[in-house]
Amino acid sequence: MNDEIKLPGDVLYDKPVQMPYGYIENGKTYTTVLGIKRKRLIPLKGPYDPKPGDLIIGVVSDVRFSGYNIFVNMPYDVSISSRGIRFDLDYNDIITAKISHVDEVKNITIDDVRRLRKGIVIKVPPVKVPRILGRNNSMISLIKDKTGCDIVVGNNGLVWISFHGNVELAVESIGKVVKEAHIPGLTNRMEQYLNKKKVN
Amino acid sequence: MDYEGPLIKNGKRVDGRAFDDLRQISIKAHVINEADGSAYIKWGNNKILVGVYGPKECLPKHIADPHKAVVRARYNMAPFAGKEGHGRSGPSRRSIEISKVVSDTFQNVILAEQFPRTMIEIFIDVLQSDGGTRCAAVTAASVALADAGIPMKDMVSAVAGGIIEDTLVLDLNYIEDSQGNADLAMAFTHRNKDVLLLQMEGDLPIDKFKELLKMGMDSTEYLYKIQKEALEEGYKNKPTESVVLDL
Repeated sequence: MNDEIKLPGDVLYDKPVQMPYGYIENGKTYTTVLGIKRKRLIPLKGPYDPKPGDLIIGVVSDVRFSGYNIFVNMPYDVSISSRGIRFDLDYNDIITAKISHVDEVKNITIDDVRRLRKGIVIKVPPVKVPRILGRNNSMISLIKDKTGCDIVVGNNGLVWISFHGNVELAVESIGKVVKEAHIPGLTNRMEQYLNKKKVN
Repeated sequence: MDYEGPLIKNGKRVDGRAFDDLRQISIKAHVINEADGSAYIKWGNNKILVGVYGPKECLPKHIADPHKAVVRARYNMAPFAGKEGHGRSGPSRRSIEISKVVSDTFQNVILAEQFPRTMIEIFIDVLQSDGGTRCAAVTAASVALADAGIPMKDMVSAVAGGIIEDTLVLDLNYIEDSQGNADLAMAFTHRNKDVLLLQMEGDLPIDKFKELLKMGMDSTEYLYKIQKEALEEGYKNKPTESVVLDL
């Protein structure tokens, strides 16, 4: 296995390559975060970097006269106007939304706000979200299938799990995916693990 | 108890090291679960814990910068940490100064433009001190920042140098620091050897200064190796965990 851990400042390419988590200096590309070099640099950790079109999960953190503040796992809460949505929200209600715009100071505006049923929200490292989803959402459908839970994974590192179904197993298996994200053969391992748990 | 006697005996220093030897150093990454990144360093008898939080909401709001993240370090020495007056908890003239120089050191390597209006906090707690804590703290803070996944141009390592009995030495311990003639704290980036921190105390002629700076630069390779091992180890043994939000 050629799993080479790269530290900030390690040479990635001897030519300038515009890429996420890369830094170009004197015609060479260097790493900026702790990560593993495969086809591209896969970061092991790091904060969420919002992009337009991302699906995010939020939790209402404040109810104001004309709108709401939503916690979205970013440095600043997002505020939405109650005129933009057709329903009322309460403190701790869970929503999904799409990021419509990110401005130059990383202020985000969201639209397509939908309320989710009562459920639990778990916080995962945002860099592990692609691994939780799997290729063509294979991993998340596997977990949904075996646990019977409804699950929505937000790009911002928040995952909503509905109360019906085996919630405990769903939380456990997402925790396992996060923990073992860097070890190859994860989908097979998860399938075995879930089958075994389901029999018990 | 003050040490009395020669600082150099038979070509060796008080603790038996050669002139350019560093003390035994070990770093552990990812030691605090609640922090975004953390590191624990044992540098000789120095024991320092570093926690990194952020990028997060910038408080107090008036220090927020719309162009970049503000890097704030807070250096604190535990009341039981060391000898004499050092071990007094709470901000002192000394700890405010070190907090400032460490903040400035990392403001230069963190790609702060990626996180406008936010703040990155570095908490440095010295649990036991034996000279050269600011350098050990910078070395550990670099590991903690990498562990937090905060983008940086390069890794940073730091070491102190000085003159004792007219000899240039690296990595002064408390006895050498308090009885020596000069003391030079330096921090470098690994790749380009950019100087990020340079603080001098005492008498240091320009030619000796240049030589000492060179000695400091040469030690970055060694420190980098320890940092790299710590990060690899930290990732393998303590992977990231998911947390259920308390609603």
